[in-house]
Amino acid sequence: MLTAARLVTELHRQCVTHVVGLPDNASAALFAALAHDEQITVVAVTREGEAFAIAAGLWMGGAKPVVLIQSTGFIESGDALRGCVTRLRIPLVCLLGYRGYRKLAAAGLRPSLELLTPANLSRPDQDSCALLFEPTLRAWGIPYDLLSSDHDLSRLTAAFDRAQAEETAVALLIVEDTE
Amino acid sequence: MITKSQLLEPLARLRTDQIVVTTMGVVRPWGRLSAHPFDFASADSAMGHAADLALGLALAQPQRRVICLNGDGSMLMTLGTFVTIVQAGARNLLLFVVENATYEITGNQPVPGAGRVDFAAMARAAGFARTFTFKEAEPYSTALPDLLALDGPVCVVVRTEHGHEPPMSRRPDEVPCLQRSLAEDARRLRAALLDATARRSETASPG
Repeated sequence: MLTAARLVTELHRQCVTHVVGLPDNASAALFAALAHDEQITVVAVTREGEAFAIAAGLWMGGAKPVVLIQSTGFIESGDALRGCVTRLRIPLVCLLGYRGYRKLAAAGLRPSLELLTPANLSRPDQDSCALLFEPTLRAWGIPYDLLSSDHDLSRLTAAFDRAQAEETAVALLIVEDTE
Repeated sequence: MITKSQLLEPLARLRTDQIVVTTMGVVRPWGRLSAHPFDFASADSAMGHAADLALGLALAQPQRRVICLNGDGSMLMTLGTFVTIVQAGARNLLLFVVENATYEITGNQPVPGAGRVDFAAMARAAGFARTFTFKEAEPYSTALPDLLALDGPVCVVVRTEHGHEPPMSRRPDEVPCLQRSLAEDARRLRAALLDATARRSETASPG
């Protein structure tokens, strides 16, 4: 189980000032937990690409943002991530809901370039976004790890450390709905 | 129609300690007028996101005004940003839409809806309480001191003549704001803002 309250505590521990994003099922509880938080301001966007540019501006202004969006929106955001975060070397932790992960795992599929065939990408029993997600992260040079339960929360610290040390975006993929 | 000089020169004269974010066709002309430490050229980055970046700066620096000189082609790419700015309550943000009706630096190809789209009406519909459209230089320069003092978010649409700025790159023979890499420029601005914030805190609590 991935507990929203525990995640918020970790974000406080990392001195996060803003969470910029757009909610989905996986992040709904987290957004709800942040709605009245006194230390972290939620910035709601209309399209996920906005989130990366807003986060870049926040960082330049001295804040410490996190981006929280779903994998579909992440794929839509390619140029914003490239131009506003990677190009500027913004240290940025991104919490990304992994849509379709359960179906992928149940079918025993491990995302890879070889799986990205027209036949697989149109399979009705799989979410093509799930098949594309990890290969896309790798292609865009974004290091990532999975976040499936409270036991994984130490990975959050590692992600912040790596983002800071390497001046890069680092992704944590949320594979279970937050509660 | 207003020329780029008529748009930028009065603004450069009146600008004090505001952050100014430029993009596309106004980057070089503004860079020739200003080398302020709080300037940031959103060039060689991602088209369409200068207003988003300015919003982030405004939220991180609520005590300081942020001016974004966005283009009409750029604004069309992220119209949702009008809504995001209002939702975020960025009262210190002044968003200019420089409406020349073309994608200037790629050769003045017309933008969709050129001459028909009403950006001020879009901003109003998104919740901007204050929107303005200027087609002539004199009313614009007369209103500018008041515009800079208004509580925002404010949207100012300025209909300008076509310009002829060629594509941009960051290299030593460019205007000063394009001589550093984006990453260097981001760190330069962050350091300047953090330094100014620290100085303001020291002044506010002597001893």
